[in-house]
Amino acid sequence: MNLFSFDFIKTTFSNIKSNKQLFSLSVATNFIAFTVLGIFFLLFVNLDILFSSWDKHIQLIVYLDDKISNPNKKKIELLFNSNDKIDSIFFVSRDQAWESFRGKFSSKSNFVTSLNFNPLPDSYTLRFASGPDRLKNIRDFSEKIKNENGVESVEYGEKWISRFEQFMIFLRGFILVFGVVLFSGMILIISNTIKLSIYSRKDEIDLMTLLGATHQYIKVPLLLEGILQGVSGSLLALVSVKLIHLYIVFWFQGSLESVFRGLEFQYLTKPIIFSVISTGIIVGVLGSSISANQFLHRHNSE
Amino acid sequence: MIKVFNLYKSYGGIAPVLSDISFDIQDGEFVFLTGQSGAGKTTLFKVLFGWEKFDRGQILVGGINVGKLNEKNLYQLRRKVGFVFQDYKLLMKKTVFENVAFAQQIVGANMKTVRAKTWNALKNVGLVKKKDSYPSQLSGGEQQRVSIARAIVNDPELILADEPTGNLDSEISKEIFALFEKINQQGKTIIIATHSAEILRKKERRHLLLKRGKLLQS
Ligand SMILES: Nc1ncnc2c1ncn2[C@@H]1O[C@H](COP(=O)(O)OP(=O)(O)OP(=O)(O)O)[C@@H](O)[C@H]1O
Ligand SMILES: [Mg+2]
Repeated sequence: MNLFSFDFIKTTFSNIKSNKQLFSLSVATNFIAFTVLGIFFLLFVNLDILFSSWDKHIQLIVYLDDKISNPNKKKIELLFNSNDKIDSIFFVSRDQAWESFRGKFSSKSNFVTSLNFNPLPDSYTLRFASGPDRLKNIRDFSEKIKNENGVESVEYGEKWISRFEQFMIFLRGFILVFGVVLFSGMILIISNTIKLSIYSRKDEIDLMTLLGATHQYIKVPLLLEGILQGVSGSLLALVSVKLIHLYIVFWFQGSLESVFRGLEFQYLTKPIIFSVISTGIIVGVLGSSISANQFLHRHNSE
Repeated sequence: MIKVFNLYKSYGGIAPVLSDISFDIQDGEFVFLTGQSGAGKTTLFKVLFGWEKFDRGQILVGGINVGKLNEKNLYQLRRKVGFVFQDYKLLMKKTVFENVAFAQQIVGANMKTVRAKTWNALKNVGLVKKKDSYPSQLSGGEQQRVSIARAIVNDPELILADEPTGNLDSEISKEIFALFEKINQQGKTIIIATHSAEILRKKERRHLLLKRGKLLQS
């Protein structure tokens, strides 16, 4: 028996036609659930891009003690040079630092020009090789160098990075939990829709089993019906999230640019689009199987 | 065709509905199943058809061990047996033709076969002219004949007819019995459950007599 023969498709569509409102209601509910999920994904994707763009600008600044001894300085430089994750090393003397500082701020603040001594230390600016472990490498190396003799302090914006990181972890967890809740909700909706669809044709399905239809023959159109509900919901949601994306780009591109610094506000990534559609298929299959199996088992235990 | 050994069945009450039933029916036989209302005729049919489970005993229908079937392969038995339901069980939204074709479609026959066999079955019961009517537009006897056409359309080896004349007057009943005789002559095994004593007296046919769940005569 051909599973996707014209017969099954015809049955599926005639079932949908005779339960139009129910079907639309289920598609609409799934659509809303997927849209909410899609908006969170949109947020996540763009914050992630933002985060990794910041990540690229992160450099480790090592401030030296004013009274650092020459051997200690040599030792520190050796540590820099022996670490193959470090791309480049710039030495900024306290005089250079003071020059550039005054250049930047003297017009704005009298306090700076009124200072007649240089409060800034010598420093090294280290850039790390790019890669997924970049932040970790910076963190590890800063831990190591922090306690060396002659190092006054290290800085790479640790606080806000870890805060942002924590927020992203939270967002990821939130989407996951929220996704699971929506996922179960969608299965529930589809299984109930299919259940109503089954019961509206109860006599016919009962008769089918009495006349010798296989379970498969009865199930396939129900599965197709469920899959259609899930997939239509997810496809419509992807379209609506795209519209939201276009809307944001159109109206807020200017203000976004200052935050995103030349990055474009992105739509969902391909893997996310793919998984949204697969989720639509999965909720459809699970929802309709639950009801179909329940019905078929009820039938023979009665 | 059918072998039943020491069959017991109860619905959970104190007395079993069927108790210690044993009988054999050969291929091509025409048998009446009789007994008062509540004797257990329908129950016996349902058990033979895998529609009700039974408690004890052995049932073989056309080589299938009924007790060993599960709900997934029950269809194998159902395809060997044509059941004529007492309440017809016709689909009201389908025409006569579609009702009969339905039985063909759900076993996966292709369109051409469905047409040919449905046509044939309708010819057999003399309902070709009414093929486009809906069940609600038919008389009781005509509806009964549709349900017989549907029972024979898949060429089952065995036909179980549960009180096929229960609601019909004696003229129509005679026609229906004649129809079953014709089908029997085409080689099918037939069991008819009935309490129409008049028919029985006229026909010299084997009959199984049930009384309160026991087989008094086989
Ligand atoms: N689903 C059921 N649950 C409980 N008891 C049942 C059920 N079906 C039938 N019975 C009981 O089993 C007995 C036999 O019923 P059955 O329908 O087999 O009789 P029957 O011979 O077909 O009667 P009739 O000639 O009136 O159709 C009756 O006492 C009936 O009440
Ligand atoms: Mg009965």
